[in-house]
Amino acid sequence: MGKEVKIKIDGKTIRAEEGMNLLEVARSNGIMIPGLCYHKKVSPTGACRLCICKIEGINGLVASCTVRVSGEMNVTAFDQELEDSRRILLDYLLSEHNEEYDGSYHDEFRELKVRYGLESEASRKFPSIWRELGYPADNSSPVLTCDASKCIKCFRCIKACEEVQGKNVLSFTSRGITSYIVAGFDNWKESECDGCGECIQLCPTGAIVEKPHRERIDLAGHNRKVITTCPYCGVGCQLELLVSDGRIVRSSGVEGVPPNDGRLCVKGRFGYDFVNSPDRLTTPLIKRNGRFEKASWDEALSLIAEKFNGILAQYGNGALAGYSSAKCTNEDNYLFQKFVRLVFGNNNVDYCTRLCHASTVVAMLRSIGDGAGSNSIEDYALADCILITGNNMIETHPVTATFVKQGRKRGGKVIVIDPKWTPMVRYADIWLQPALGTDVALLNGIMHVIIREGLTDRQFIESRVEGGMEAFGILRELTDKYTPEYTQQITNVPSGSIEKAATMFAKAKKSLVATGMGMSQQVTGTNNVFSLINMLLITGHLGKEGSGINPPRGQNNVQGASDVGTSPLTYPGYIPVGNDENRRRVSKIWGVPYGSLSWKPGLTTVEIMQAAFSGKIKGMYIMGENPMLTDPNLNHTEEALKKLDFLVVQDIFHTETTPFADVILPAASFAGKNGTFVNSDRRVLRVRKALDPPGEARQDWQIIVDIANRMGKNIGDYSCESEIFDEIAAVTPMMAGITHARLEETGIQWPCPSKDHPGTPTLFLERFNTPSGKAKLNPVEHIEQKERADDQYPFILNSGRILYQYHSATMSRRNKPLNDFANEAYVLMHPDDAAKQDMSGGMKVKLISRQGELETLLRISGEVAPGELFMPFHYSESPVNKLTRDELDPHSRIAPFKLSACRVEKAV
Amino acid sequence: MTGHNKNAHPGELRIVLDNLGRINPESIEDYIAAGGYRAFRKALETEPADIIDLFIESGLRGRGGAGFPTGLKKRFTGEACLSCENRYLVCNADEGEPGTFKDRVIMENDPHKYLEGMMIAARSIRATRGFVYIRGEYFLAIERTRKAIDDMRSMGFLGNDILGSGLSFDIEIRKGAGSYLCGEELTLLESLEGKRGYPRIKPPYPAEKGLWGYPTLVNNVETFACFPSIVLNGAEWYRSMGTDKSSGTKIFTISGSVQRPGYYEAEMGITLRRLIFELAGGMKKGKKFLAAILGGAAGTFVDESMLDCPMGYDELRERGATLGSGAVIVMDTGMQVWEMLNSMLRFFEHESCGKCVPCRAGSRQLLLKMQEIRNGNGGRDMLIDSLNAQAALMEKTSLCPLGQSHILPVKSATAYFRHLL
Repeated sequence: MGKEVKIKIDGKTIRAEEGMNLLEVARSNGIMIPGLCYHKKVSPTGACRLCICKIEGINGLVASCTVRVSGEMNVTAFDQELEDSRRILLDYLLSEHNEEYDGSYHDEFRELKVRYGLESEASRKFPSIWRELGYPADNSSPVLTCDASKCIKCFRCIKACEEVQGKNVLSFTSRGITSYIVAGFDNWKESECDGCGECIQLCPTGAIVEKPHRERIDLAGHNRKVITTCPYCGVGCQLELLVSDGRIVRSSGVEGVPPNDGRLCVKGRFGYDFVNSPDRLTTPLIKRNGRFEKASWDEALSLIAEKFNGILAQYGNGALAGYSSAKCTNEDNYLFQKFVRLVFGNNNVDYCTRLCHASTVVAMLRSIGDGAGSNSIEDYALADCILITGNNMIETHPVTATFVKQGRKRGGKVIVIDPKWTPMVRYADIWLQPALGTDVALLNGIMHVIIREGLTDRQFIESRVEGGMEAFGILRELTDKYTPEYTQQITNVPSGSIEKAATMFAKAKKSLVATGMGMSQQVTGTNNVFSLINMLLITGHLGKEGSGINPPRGQNNVQGASDVGTSPLTYPGYIPVGNDENRRRVSKIWGVPYGSLSWKPGLTTVEIMQAAFSGKIKGMYIMGENPMLTDPNLNHTEEALKKLDFLVVQDIFHTETTPFADVILPAASFAGKNGTFVNSDRRVLRVRKALDPPGEARQDWQIIVDIANRMGKNIGDYSCESEIFDEIAAVTPMMAGITHARLEETGIQWPCPSKDHPGTPTLFLERFNTPSGKAKLNPVEHIEQKERADDQYPFILNSGRILYQYHSATMSRRNKPLNDFANEAYVLMHPDDAAKQDMSGGMKVKLISRQGELETLLRISGEVAPGELFMPFHYSESPVNKLTRDELDPHSRIAPFKLSACRVEKAV
Repeated sequence: MTGHNKNAHPGELRIVLDNLGRINPESIEDYIAAGGYRAFRKALETEPADIIDLFIESGLRGRGGAGFPTGLKKRFTGEACLSCENRYLVCNADEGEPGTFKDRVIMENDPHKYLEGMMIAARSIRATRGFVYIRGEYFLAIERTRKAIDDMRSMGFLGNDILGSGLSFDIEIRKGAGSYLCGEELTLLESLEGKRGYPRIKPPYPAEKGLWGYPTLVNNVETFACFPSIVLNGAEWYRSMGTDKSSGTKIFTISGSVQRPGYYEAEMGITLRRLIFELAGGMKKGKKFLAAILGGAAGTFVDESMLDCPMGYDELRERGATLGSGAVIVMDTGMQVWEMLNSMLRFFEHESCGKCVPCRAGSRQLLLKMQEIRNGNGGRDMLIDSLNAQAALMEKTSLCPLGQSHILPVKSATAYFRHLL
């Protein structure tokens, strides 16, 4: 904060912080100086000149957007000369401008035209020349149109792309009055534009406008705007949905609110059409004679109650299980786990977190006491060194990546550890490319160098690590043999790069780690994260602003679903199932006998499927999950589902899983819901209903309550979602201070233990969340993978996500704009391997692993190392999980999606 | 030491151009034999602050056109951000002002002169690295400067710990790519950084935050070329030449309807009449003087009433004219003032970068107004007034000096030749 100064604008005394932007200061004090090129998110440009003012002691007129306020400044913002000049400047702009307006966008320029009385031709001085200038329009992008005749050359789009999103796709071509905006080399479709639409968001005129639904939008007509939270990844971007005539017609970022401050990615901006898709489930469906028939809610609920109660009566408490959903709200998830614990009478409730970050959470819980990201997303812009490991952030968490890019611009260093090239490598100072499954060895090697070079933080180790230097000694001994040379032998990473990365990471003042699925989805997933935390602890890069470990969550509410207890191992607030005192406390809030709550940990996701396969689980309730595409070893999953006596699937679409259901229940999508999500930095964010669910579809939480009631069990009476949240707050200590009302303006980061607590941006500032308050080192050895390439299966297959599709693609693939960017399954193979196998790009190939086989298209790419392959897992026509294994990480029961031996054959 | 160059016109006084025709421009030995690098050696033995004082006392003003006191600029740069690890020196050799070719003459004929000037400047502000940003079409100037820099390096005048003085400094050449605007110092810095040539917002000025955000001294080739003789002969000597407020000599480049177009170095304060009728040999045969354009396109028209005005920064400014780069374009009575003005405005329109509204749209609208004036559909006076008003608004509201330049020819053409427009 600069010091406070007093300045005068048009005689009015204004207090401001020294160094603030004069235009901002004026406007925030109600002095509405006009301007078109300034936007608070980007650096001042000074191009439109409309914000000119006079400052005592300075010759001539100055653009106020380019002035920083300082003491005793005396400013004239409005007088005849300034207003006359502004009118002429606007007149100039009008002369080169196409004024057609279709009502589908907000046009700041039109507003100024009215304000300065320049609407009629007669009021203007200059002849219109835009037609003869011949400005082109570029309609080649799948998502937007760029009409240069409506552009005022304010540079906001260029700076949105460069400064806000870090993409640098836009620029001007030509010079002077004939110059116009281009993407890449003057063709939007062929450029590197990835459709995030930040340029649209910042365009003050209608030069760059969204394509989808433009013809439906009349901003002056009957519309509603609803602010809610994005349903895709775990960044938790705040969206403003424009709803017209019962459908969503536009999605924009909400400016000035964390975590995204208006930024979105292509999915957030153009991925909403699934909500209004004709494929939505609209009535309950009951399978009769192998075919699904429409049914009433009454019929469906009665059948479910009868079957579940029947299984309970016949097999007892252990034969039922539920999959909850990271796509659903906290309110939905909370009631789901309450349902399983009270109605099924066991703890067999889990969800996809077991498939993505279970190992991360286990390692973090054991080492530092919390499984959630320790720092805020904004910290990526503050850190001096960012280590991104097994995390394709630009594609999976695009808005988080914008903060990394800003940090880098500020001078922060970026280290990427990934077996596969990711777009972040372009921004990286160092890229380490370890062989798949060798992360522990690599991290031990890095720690070896850190210790050898004396770059450890002894004071931190002594004061904040259990066992202090003694515990450190054990780690030192273990890493002793991981010399850079030895590590290179295991990982294929050059020893010099290991040394460089170690030094860079340890020497930085603030180092922040972003870990991801590449680390967690392995048989050694927990060990991988233990190693990471060991590295952070010995360098003291934890428990500080800008230093810590963040595992960006893959789905909108993975974090929240765990937080509110959708886990076989923990109650809401991560309190172990076996904690008697907590069960006693919760039983009181729930109004049930203490003895009715099982103390026995339940089965995890993959274990539930294995139990179904072996006949122990007879009935399942799946809310918003699609195990037939997302579980490992799909052939096995299919067998398991077929063996169930009774399966209920509650979703918004038919999925790969619904064919196996006995009853399908239609639910509301995110846009039809009220409630909350929790994003990757523990920020509890509001979800607001934009439109009614289609047909007879109902709220997930209502369906859960209804099933319980039909089964003769009361799990609570709620009139609205905020009541459910109040109960969540009562049961979950770290959310005790949060209510829906408190979340109206902006989210709150837990822990928030009381109503007057502001929330916690950074964890562990003073103590770790362990009984001793200190963190634990967990030294681990590199373990050879059991799964290895051999003569029969010579390749190691990796899997992951891409920017344009999402998870099992039930949502993303129902959006034409996203499909226009990417809608085809493929496998990546290194050019050397392709040459050896005599294969070429675009050819159809068969991939065969010990688990199964599939067909897909071959793409040749240096993004993967020789001997390794990569496939996105979104496409059901080539479901990569037919090839993956269900061998589990012993600590977290996560499956190794990232490592399957296979061979590639030409398909006939 | 002072100009008795046999190649020179007797009316000239050659200080900067002293070596012209006397030495081989590609021979550093020749340059040294003619006394070269003595000034630099002397500067190495002088305290940086004293060198700056010397320049302040000499009254030397920037020869690029703006006429800012050179010594002050140095002091500002030398004193800015003392903790900065870098301090840059930039030679603006992107000579693009129509009618101006003085820097070319220096670079092609005596490149060491201005490079020695850069060395002195490097010493005075403790610069760490220097750049010469040369107009891309100046092939010979680039070649000779490159050769000169190579020779300097092999003589130990560049590199680490130069001549055991502790000064470490090197010079690189960067070529311009044909944009007039890149001759404007802030735009030049953008271009040097590898960015597109758009003007920067000022403040901050280069002295404070220039190249890559570090303190940067930007001077014109001719300015640098003045340094060696000032260091050798002192401030008083320099001030003894020229006028009170414009000391020393200046290279004038004269073109148009004169007998001997070319470059002439003369004392500041020489009259326009002497420049045209004595040094340049008078008007072409049979032609009668109509006007002179002083300072190039970003310059001013004058008529014969100005022939006896001394050519100095303030002397001209006081009478509504500019010295600018020292260009003098002479028009005879057979030429059209409207054509000349129109061509200057066309030049500006072509060179406008398009960033700010008044210059981008205004440049085109001025041309349309010129057409209206030519078509002369009555109300000529009103149209000319409107032309002036528009140019004045552009001057007031434009982001960089380019948009502020249109007013100079427009206003002066109106003042002297309203009847001929």
